[in-house]
Amino acid sequence: MQIAFFFDQSRCVGCYACSIACKDWHDLKAGAVHWRRVTSREWGIYPKVFLTYLSLSCNHCEEPACIQACPADAIIKRAEDGIVVVNRDVCLGNKVCDMRCKKACPYHIPQFGDEENATMQMCTFCLERLSEGKKPVCVEACPMRALDAGSLEALKEKYGDIKKAEGFTYSKKTKPSIIVKPRYLK
Amino acid sequence: MNSKNDPTTNTEEREIITSCPHDCGGRCVLRVHVKEGIITRIETDNGEEPQLRACVRGRAYRQRIYAPDRLKFPLKRIGERGKGAFARITWDEALDTVAGELTRVKHTYGNEAIFYVPYSGNTGTFLHSQLAVYRLLTMFGGFTPVWGSASFWGNLFASNITYGTLTTGHTRNDLLNARLIIMWGWNPAESIQITNTSLYLARAKEAGIKIVSIDPRFTDSAAAFADEWIPIRPGTDTAMLIAMAYVIIAHNLQDQKFLDTYTTGFEQFKQYVTGEEDGMPKTPLWAEKITGVPAATIEALAHDYATGKPAALLTLGAPGRTAFGEQFHRAASTLAAITGNIGIHGGDPAGFGLQPVGLQPLASAGLLRGAAPGNLPEGTTAKKGVHITKVWDAILKGKAGGYPSDIKFVYTTNGNPVNQFPNTNKAVEALKKVEFVVVHEQFMTATARCADILLPVNTHLERNDMVRPWHSGPYYLYLPKIINSLHESKSDLEICSELATRLDISGYCEKTEDEYLREFWDAAKNFTHTAPLLDYDALKSKGVHKIALKEPAIAFKEQIEDPTGHPFPTPSGKIEIYSRRLAEMNNPKLPPIPRYIEPWEGPHDPLTAKYPLQFITTHFKRRIHSNLETIPWLRECEPQMLWINSLDARRRNIGHGDMVRIFNERGEVILPAKVTERIMPGVVSLDEGAWYAPDEKGRDRGGCCNVLIKDEHSPAGAFCGNSCVVEVERFTEEK
Repeated sequence: MQIAFFFDQSRCVGCYACSIACKDWHDLKAGAVHWRRVTSREWGIYPKVFLTYLSLSCNHCEEPACIQACPADAIIKRAEDGIVVVNRDVCLGNKVCDMRCKKACPYHIPQFGDEENATMQMCTFCLERLSEGKKPVCVEACPMRALDAGSLEALKEKYGDIKKAEGFTYSKKTKPSIIVKPRYLK
Repeated sequence: MNSKNDPTTNTEEREIITSCPHDCGGRCVLRVHVKEGIITRIETDNGEEPQLRACVRGRAYRQRIYAPDRLKFPLKRIGERGKGAFARITWDEALDTVAGELTRVKHTYGNEAIFYVPYSGNTGTFLHSQLAVYRLLTMFGGFTPVWGSASFWGNLFASNITYGTLTTGHTRNDLLNARLIIMWGWNPAESIQITNTSLYLARAKEAGIKIVSIDPRFTDSAAAFADEWIPIRPGTDTAMLIAMAYVIIAHNLQDQKFLDTYTTGFEQFKQYVTGEEDGMPKTPLWAEKITGVPAATIEALAHDYATGKPAALLTLGAPGRTAFGEQFHRAASTLAAITGNIGIHGGDPAGFGLQPVGLQPLASAGLLRGAAPGNLPEGTTAKKGVHITKVWDAILKGKAGGYPSDIKFVYTTNGNPVNQFPNTNKAVEALKKVEFVVVHEQFMTATARCADILLPVNTHLERNDMVRPWHSGPYYLYLPKIINSLHESKSDLEICSELATRLDISGYCEKTEDEYLREFWDAAKNFTHTAPLLDYDALKSKGVHKIALKEPAIAFKEQIEDPTGHPFPTPSGKIEIYSRRLAEMNNPKLPPIPRYIEPWEGPHDPLTAKYPLQFITTHFKRRIHSNLETIPWLRECEPQMLWINSLDARRRNIGHGDMVRIFNERGEVILPAKVTERIMPGVVSLDEGAWYAPDEKGRDRGGCCNVLIKDEHSPAGAFCGNSCVVEVERFTEEK
């Protein structure tokens, strides 16, 4: 089984509820670390203007480049659900290894705090909620119901298998476990 | 409550349902996790549909409760007023001082010298709000109140004139019954305007319903929901509405049967629109020159609106927050009437928009009922009061300036008027002039900095209350005490209670929170559209109770189905396009039919020679007005910046992120520019609510829009935050 996220860009209004709900649930302070990050893109010339938001966490890739890049074998992919998790006790820290995982990740997802020799952290798919049968907190937070989570197969069944949105390109190399619905792309 | 159920002491983690009683535009469910009296996490509604999911402001609320910068103790000013230097004192010293000053000022100058200037820090709560102070000061013999609103007064006035009521809305699920939705100056993605509005707009779009956004900015709502964005010069919306009426009349597309049956005054309005009255037909070309909207666009939208019934014209707030803003709302309702989009599913009367379901606003006015005789008729205090835009002028000029009193004592709670009422620099000057200032607050706001005595107030998670949904709505919410009051904070009611004792006022607060709430809930049955109410104890234990609706609730259904049996609550019994009440006022600036009146500091004001950019103020997704400004989680979402179109920026050699100086005769603000295509040329915008932070030269570095806005109101009381002109230049720090 491979877990996955669904993100409906056509619905996202850039409210940041997902990102801050994640920080509250996981008790992450404001600042450098975002397990789920919302970014925006604006293009066009007045009055023909376009705007999109993208809400992205770790995509728990089927073939994670971060695992290959880690010199300490601190990152593993769980066999039972495909969640990519980092063992921060084993991580060498960003000063020692120069964030090879982040550089290898096509989405630059691995996060490092501003503390000295920070160890890597990222989205855990809310493992502790999963065991209670709950979806990740970001999914339950979204006022627009633009996020969903479940098994990759079930999500494909429900939403189709769209791989491209504004600001997001599917990496054939790592195979991110995410399905998207773009705002403008057909 | 036994100790096992008391969340303030229970050692097991529990989840407790509550909400946010702010002036935020929504009323959502917060599910607060608490363990050993400490809030550990906050989730939102995961219960029955429709879920009332909280926005980012609610999700960040834990940082507000435990903010290191929360006011912890009573403080007294040391040094010059307004400089923000304070020393910690005891509650006894603080309350003795306030009571002593109230008594001194009353005996020296009379009660009218006491000026109570609250605002909307608690909105819709039943017990803990500014009403605690209203009650105290009323029982103390009276005071000079304020009237008006920074939000909706133009809308309120117009809705009462046209429809005789504020209950003109539909539940939001009715949007799915429309064929066309016009979001006029309306950005619910940030301003919420009823929980789940954005979700229903998204569903409407997905259902193929056409959505149009008319706005000087390409908002998040326009981007997410609209098929078409029509940029318009601020303050000119009424001209476009009237030109749409022209098109409809010229093509004979009006719903004449509707007009004949349900309205009065269409003929007078028609004479104005067609130019029969003044020789000036209000054609799309006429409006194009005023609004900047191409005539063809106006023509097309008018056709779509008149022929695409049912169509929902959604108007709230912003275009009416202009000089003569009440005309915008009058014209919008008139257009809804001309097209017969009233009292039908999928339409909208374009009125004030309270929903005809659940509790009415007066349900939560309990503390005023039965208060000692005073000068406080519920609703308007206009006759004796000072309009909120004139608070500073009234302090500076007093009776000699035509104001009701000479003010010596300023009492502020539940608000941050220095920051949120126009002309902030004038506010600071005015507050230097009075003899005493007392403020109840939770944070060190610009208003708090001006206090002589500053009293720390607890938050809604630290006391028991109930709250109404925003603009009514099909649910009820209980707000239980979840944690003990932090630090030395107290509720407004506790503070006023202790003041009442010191002022020898008896009967101010004779009941427990629970007894009051039970009494107010029982009284609320007189103020509900949806009887019977849930039992108080059931509500208290459930936290949130949703009213199941068989179909979307819509206003004026009875009036439309049976006009003889159910007249509109206006003097004529009809929708008043022409208002005799307005005619009797005999004020050319408040005409009996809706008219476009050229606004001051609009696009055509001669002042634009000096200040060529129109300045508008907008709601920000990460604040509730000036609330939550210092919360770290929220600050990192998006920065406070001045929006400026690339054309205007290029002419001024301003690049994205450059520091700019925004100025006019009232003040200057320095902050970074967001150079964007998302705002029309000639217009700049700033999100309201950022905290006034003057540097040593008095230039605001916080981004407080009211430094720039004129302290003037429209004839009917509309706040004019979007009638303002400025110049912007690149700013380099002096060496």
